[in-house]
Amino acid sequence: MGHGKYLDPFVAVAPQDDKRCHSERSEESLYRVRAGETLELEYVVLPGESRDIDVNIDLVGPGAEAHVKALYLSTGAEKVNFHIVMHHRAPGCRSTQKINGIAGGRAQVHFDGTIVVAPDAQQTEAYQENHNIVLTEDARVETRPQLEIYADDVKCSHGATVGQLNPDELFYMRSRGIPEAEARTLQMLSFLSPVIPQGREQEVETAGSSYCCCRRSSSAFSSRVSSSVPGAPYKLCSCIGSFSRSNSSHSSMS
Amino acid sequence: MAEDIIQQFTSGEYKEGFVTDVEQEFIPKGLNEDIVRLISKRKEEPQWLLEFRLDAFRKWQAMPQPDWAHLDMPEIDFQDIIYYAAPKKDKDRPKEIDPKLAETFDKLGIPLHEREVLAGVVAVDAVFDSVSVTTTFRKTLAEKGIIFCSFSEAVKEHPELVRKYLATVVPSSDNFFAALNSAVFSDGSFCYIPKGVRCPMELSSYFRINARGTGQFERTLIVADEGSYVSYMEGCTAPMRDEQQLHAAVVEIIVEKDADVKYSTVQNWYPGDADGKGGILNLVTKRGICKGSGAHLSWTQVETGSAITWKYPSTILKGDFSASEFYSVAVTNNHQQADTGTKMIHLGRGTRSRIVSKGISAGVSQNSYRGLVQMGKSAANARNYSQCDSLLIGSRCGAHTFPVVRSQCPSATVEHEATTSKISEDQLFYCNQRGIGPEEAVGLIVNGYAREVLSRLPMEFAVEAQKLLQVSLEGSVG
Repeated sequence: MGHGKYLDPFVAVAPQDDKRCHSERSEESLYRVRAGETLELEYVVLPGESRDIDVNIDLVGPGAEAHVKALYLSTGAEKVNFHIVMHHRAPGCRSTQKINGIAGGRAQVHFDGTIVVAPDAQQTEAYQENHNIVLTEDARVETRPQLEIYADDVKCSHGATVGQLNPDELFYMRSRGIPEAEARTLQMLSFLSPVIPQGREQEVETAGSSYCCCRRSSSAFSSRVSSSVPGAPYKLCSCIGSFSRSNSSHSSMS
Repeated sequence: MAEDIIQQFTSGEYKEGFVTDVEQEFIPKGLNEDIVRLISKRKEEPQWLLEFRLDAFRKWQAMPQPDWAHLDMPEIDFQDIIYYAAPKKDKDRPKEIDPKLAETFDKLGIPLHEREVLAGVVAVDAVFDSVSVTTTFRKTLAEKGIIFCSFSEAVKEHPELVRKYLATVVPSSDNFFAALNSAVFSDGSFCYIPKGVRCPMELSSYFRINARGTGQFERTLIVADEGSYVSYMEGCTAPMRDEQQLHAAVVEIIVEKDADVKYSTVQNWYPGDADGKGGILNLVTKRGICKGSGAHLSWTQVETGSAITWKYPSTILKGDFSASEFYSVAVTNNHQQADTGTKMIHLGRGTRSRIVSKGISAGVSQNSYRGLVQMGKSAANARNYSQCDSLLIGSRCGAHTFPVVRSQCPSATVEHEATTSKISEDQLFYCNQRGIGPEEAVGLIVNGYAREVLSRLPMEFAVEAQKLLQVSLEGSVG
């Protein structure tokens, strides 16, 4: 970026599937998705963990697909950074990105997501969504959803929101006898439900407190699963439950 | 026959591209402290303003030219520009407007005589290169206490007001081009609406670049005191030339408690020829502040001209429950590049803002939206909604969206939405089979797409803007 014109699309391509972990906290991944392949990535960042998630996806073959889902829950003084570049280099590719999360405490969350569509990548479909909820005065959310499009026959959109839990919804549930903390948990769960991992149970079970899952499928390759952080299993629901209780005192509706 | 019509259409010309043959005086080329002093002396400015300029110039010298925009910016040689050019005044009749100038503005459709035009009364401040030629309806406005004059006159006649508000919204060290403007600005408009006054007519500034090798550095300052209202319009054109010319303006708007300002621009600088030769580099800083509670500022812009546009009309929402809107249509064709958008800085409680941006790119142009919505800690219950759509015409152009949303407030809500698409074959086919030609169909679709913004323009501008959209896109359909 910086100087206008689109750069030669194949200069920046890194070796395929080159996955490096710089430190425990940062994760930089480069994925190359070829014709007919589908890549699915899922990330979960749970309270107490600061993370830099840096993902570059190159869709290099016609008809390749990539889907990224990420969820974060940050209650303390965590710093969570998402940096996602979705590069459509071939025609007829499809990509979706969904990143939802809740920031409380003094958490700082930064989302930087770019969709790049190369000049000849016609019939591209690319969608990106980033929804955030800020619970406390000291939490900070910054989001930069970006589109760089150099082809015309494309369907691209992005959406980003930063807001709070809807007080009307809360009132609805409470008026029907659901206790406030529970209602809040339900609200948060429903907010996060589009990005809750769909991974097979054992994948989720073997994952650490935070979680990353990658699936790649195509006719030529058998599906492959890799989890990056081993450790104790977790239960998302209970996590949100304790989360909403710990934050409910801060976020009384004004 | 049909081919003739298409031929005529595709070679659509920039009809404001003529040059006025008028005797002009210039100061020497180049930029240094002596030039800054010379400009100040020419304009018979007080010492404080000269010091303001010199201070800005020194700051500017220490600044690097920004390169973060998504633009392929040519190197600008700041020493190769004439910073002041003015048409010579007739010594025998210093009060009268040169008939050639009057003719020029007449040709551009800008009446310098105080007559009622069909759509209503518009007061005009006409700026030709570095000086204001005339400001109409000054007396009528003065009866209501409204001050509307050129910036130079304001410095002489109302120095206390100018001094109070100048550079309070855009400080001279704000950015590279604002600093340059603060050092060498020539003329622009000054407008003050006193407490509780509703301005009875549209105010308008028209900027014309004429002289070769010059740059234009306009400075506009609008102050709306408590409870007042004004609608302000701005238009601009330049001759067709092979070389690029620089236009670096600063516009500051101060909106006090409960005041309402509507600022509209139709920007039609020369965009360069079909091969990207020439055109205006339009590098502009525009910012307003909603100072008091309940203040309202609305920006509407139609950007069709300029080789390069770098422009982000912004609002600081400081007063509680103040509101601001930004409506924009940016069209780029051939080799034009635009990087434009807005900043909404929410500081006050219950502040609201709305952004609607429609980008249209054709040819091999690049069109970017760049925006910032910031919710400060104190912006309780603030709200923003942004929508940025891009329309692509042709496979060699680019459309980009770079929004930033920053929230530090749990009760603030920000929504951003953007889409990119092209005019579909189906839409064109639908029009074609009903006997609407391809060019006309594109015009229809584009106008429909931009309607939400165009409908916000004052009547006089809306008609012109619609025509302009059509002209700008001529030749873009294969």
